[in-house]
Amino acid sequence: MLRVKNIDASYGHAKVLHAISLEVNSGEMVFIAGRNGAGKTTLLKSIAGFLTPSTGSITFDDSSIMGLPAEKIALSGIRYVFQDKRVFSQLSVKENLELAAYPVKVSTADAIQKVVSIYPKIEKFLNLRAGSLSGGQRQILLIGRALIGNPKLLLIDEPTEGLAAGTINDILNVLATMKGKVSMLIVEQNLSVVGMLADKVYMMKEGKIVQEITEKSEMTNKAKLEQCL
Amino acid sequence: MINTIAYGLTIGGILYIISIGLSLTFGTMRIVNFAHGLIYTIGAYFLITLLPIARDNFILGAVLAVLAVVPISYIIERFVVRKLYGVSIDYAIIATYAVVLIGVDLIKWIWGASPIPLSDPVGIDVAFLGITLPLYRLIIILLAVVIFIGLSIFFKKTMVGKIVTAALEDKDAVRSLGINVDKYFAYIFVMGSSLAALGGVLYAPITSVHPYMGSMVLLLSFAVVLVGGLGNIKGTFVAAFALGMVMSVTGRLWGPAAETMVFVVMGIVLIFKPIEV
Repeated sequence: MLRVKNIDASYGHAKVLHAISLEVNSGEMVFIAGRNGAGKTTLLKSIAGFLTPSTGSITFDDSSIMGLPAEKIALSGIRYVFQDKRVFSQLSVKENLELAAYPVKVSTADAIQKVVSIYPKIEKFLNLRAGSLSGGQRQILLIGRALIGNPKLLLIDEPTEGLAAGTINDILNVLATMKGKVSMLIVEQNLSVVGMLADKVYMMKEGKIVQEITEKSEMTNKAKLEQCL
Repeated sequence: MINTIAYGLTIGGILYIISIGLSLTFGTMRIVNFAHGLIYTIGAYFLITLLPIARDNFILGAVLAVLAVVPISYIIERFVVRKLYGVSIDYAIIATYAVVLIGVDLIKWIWGASPIPLSDPVGIDVAFLGITLPLYRLIIILLAVVIFIGLSIFFKKTMVGKIVTAALEDKDAVRSLGINVDKYFAYIFVMGSSLAALGGVLYAPITSVHPYMGSMVLLLSFAVVLVGGLGNIKGTFVAAFALGMVMSVTGRLWGPAAETMVFVVMGIVLIFKPIEV
């Protein structure tokens, strides 16, 4: 599905990613873990089209997507859920979903139904301004918004960052519901979350992938994961 | 005093009509568009040219003048402004100022440099509270209110309006949904430019039409935008009328300070409410 091969990426003269390669297969939930500044968000931005790598290749379903504008990559089936719970705060929850439904030609009713199916509680908030939602509700809205139009791959940046334990459980339930139905590449620093859900983990350090972990026993071994950081 | 208030409201109405387009383009594209003042000027000149074709029917002439500006604003957006998205704001200032210089020279070449007066198209005064006011000024104030209400509905109810509202907050998040934001920015640019042209058309009979008429209006519009908030329709409306009133009242007390006081107020507002560009 997604193949990233040897990409380098920079902000101006500062090189942030060094020869990154990774793969996400159909239905897989793949995590990228690493400390702040390791280049995790830059990697997602490079895949999503918000930053063009200087070398290497990115293919999605055997077509090159490197250098395409972000909106075209989104329409090809890759949705990026930004860090910091960036909902459109001036619009209502319903309008946030309506906006996501518009480019993929899905009716607002179907879009709402899609999100309600993964998080029924959202039905109560549809007419509220998205800016008034709690952090967890915003995150679920963002994930739900990204699911409209049935994308094949979600790129999710730090879904549990800054959330209380109870709210994290809500997010984990949502992610678990989606597991196997859509491929996901998730940046996450919470290693307990990684251990619970991952099919594969890439550990990043200083702009490089330092280890690829595919054994479940290693993924759930928090001490082992921390050693790689 | 009522006369001063009426004059302030007229200036406020014109300022709102011109500033709202500037506010939206500044707010969405982060482009400082000096060419906005040129479009205002071109609107007024097109009115002068098209009035005889419209058999001196001001409304028809005004509509034709605004429509004639649409392709010009599209060309400016497509070939100048679109190249400036995401680059340093300095480039936008230089590039759009270059458009102004070229445009003003073209105006002088086509219409000449001498001021051209236009008469009040309504020519009727209305009397109330013991004073008489030109009906035309009241129409301008009313039109500004109608445009404000229309834009508020447009941004609340239409998909284009919602996309632009979302993009004002987070352009990249809109793009991540698969929406080509630049296309919608182009619509907003043309809409804003058309309103600037309408401002020029409406103000032409109050002042005289000359190649540099857009310069001061542009600076005043920037003041309105900075006081009202980038892309803030309600804020721009309130700021335009408030600054129009500041100009009018200051002008009554001491004429030479009328425009300066607008920038003093802007400075005070920015001290207490700095903006992020």
